[in-house]
Amino acid sequence: MRQLERVGISEVRIARAPVVLIAYGLGSCLGIALYDPQVRIGGLAHTLLPAPRAALPEMRPTKFVDSAIRLMIDRLLAEGAAAERLIAKLVGGANMFEPLYHQAEEGIGARNIRTARETLRSLHLPLAAEDVGGNYGRTAEFDLQSGELRVRSVRRDDKITIL
Amino acid sequence: MSFNRLTAGQLDTLKEISNIGMGHAATALSQLIGESIFLRVPQLKITPIGDVPDLLGGPEQVVVGITLQMLGDARGSILLIFPRESAHRLLSRLLGEKEKTLILNELGASTLKEVGNILASAYLSALGSLLRMNLIPSIPLLAFDMAGAVVDHVLIQLSQTGDEALMVETVFYGQANPKEAIRGHFFLLPDPASLELLLNAVGEQ
Repeated sequence: MRQLERVGISEVRIARAPVVLIAYGLGSCLGIALYDPQVRIGGLAHTLLPAPRAALPEMRPTKFVDSAIRLMIDRLLAEGAAAERLIAKLVGGANMFEPLYHQAEEGIGARNIRTARETLRSLHLPLAAEDVGGNYGRTAEFDLQSGELRVRSVRRDDKITIL
Repeated sequence: MSFNRLTAGQLDTLKEISNIGMGHAATALSQLIGESIFLRVPQLKITPIGDVPDLLGGPEQVVVGITLQMLGDARGSILLIFPRESAHRLLSRLLGEKEKTLILNELGASTLKEVGNILASAYLSALGSLLRMNLIPSIPLLAFDMAGAVVDHVLIQLSQTGDEALMVETVFYGQANPKEAIRGHFFLLPDPASLELLLNAVGEQ
């Protein structure tokens, strides 16, 4: 019996095996999975934006790539994960709407991906795998029993990529 | 302006102006496909951003989404969502194609974008003359994918200033028998900063 737990937009969820965490329909949003394979605890974040604008007061930390990663690490360590065993995987960050003309500015999806890679690097957290970019949506299923991250895309004939 | 501080009267006003705009858009669509288009009473919802994909039938529902920016004196996003079957019927009607399922080639995508452009232009021009504002649509962008993925960039824009979305939704449908009906959802998501402008413009009439 699979125990599915949904991770909605701008949410972070932590769980243990045999739970499967699932983030539906990621477009420009970025799914970030962190996992400790030894104790089989992991977290999945469904983030919208790279980081809050400096001028605004801090809003939900789970909305932003950078703060969601840090929050997930804190919560995973509190649940018994070890920092040196944690690995990360990224899904999403697409550009769903192809602009008619070339834009010099990178899209929000690309900025989300770049921010995640930078934050992970600065925290010395290895990026084990990723399925990011492109112009199509993805649903990410994170199986905490095996550590597998299954990525499904309707635009690619429901093809499943396993990370 | 926070969405939660809106009074019942202001919410009714938003519904009413949107209904007028939508009436014009429906007339345009009905002339385009040569069939009457009916409108449901507009629904106004203030919801957490994360709940929006569920209001579109679920985050994995496959839809065609056309989005435009509302530009000019007030800003916001317009989102037009067609369930896959309705987009297919609309294209068959407009292009006379006989494919069994929706195949979105360049001609099909371009046709649907043009439908979006016509609806949004009719809507904004009615709204603009009512409110004495200059409102123009941007070029339309289209995506054919899971609803969650199609709408998240609109939600990302909204989320830069808050955690909630105000949506004025109108469902429109053709008169054909229910099996062949064309259904669509038309959403106006005003930027929080422009909402006050819109309401003030109504108050001054």
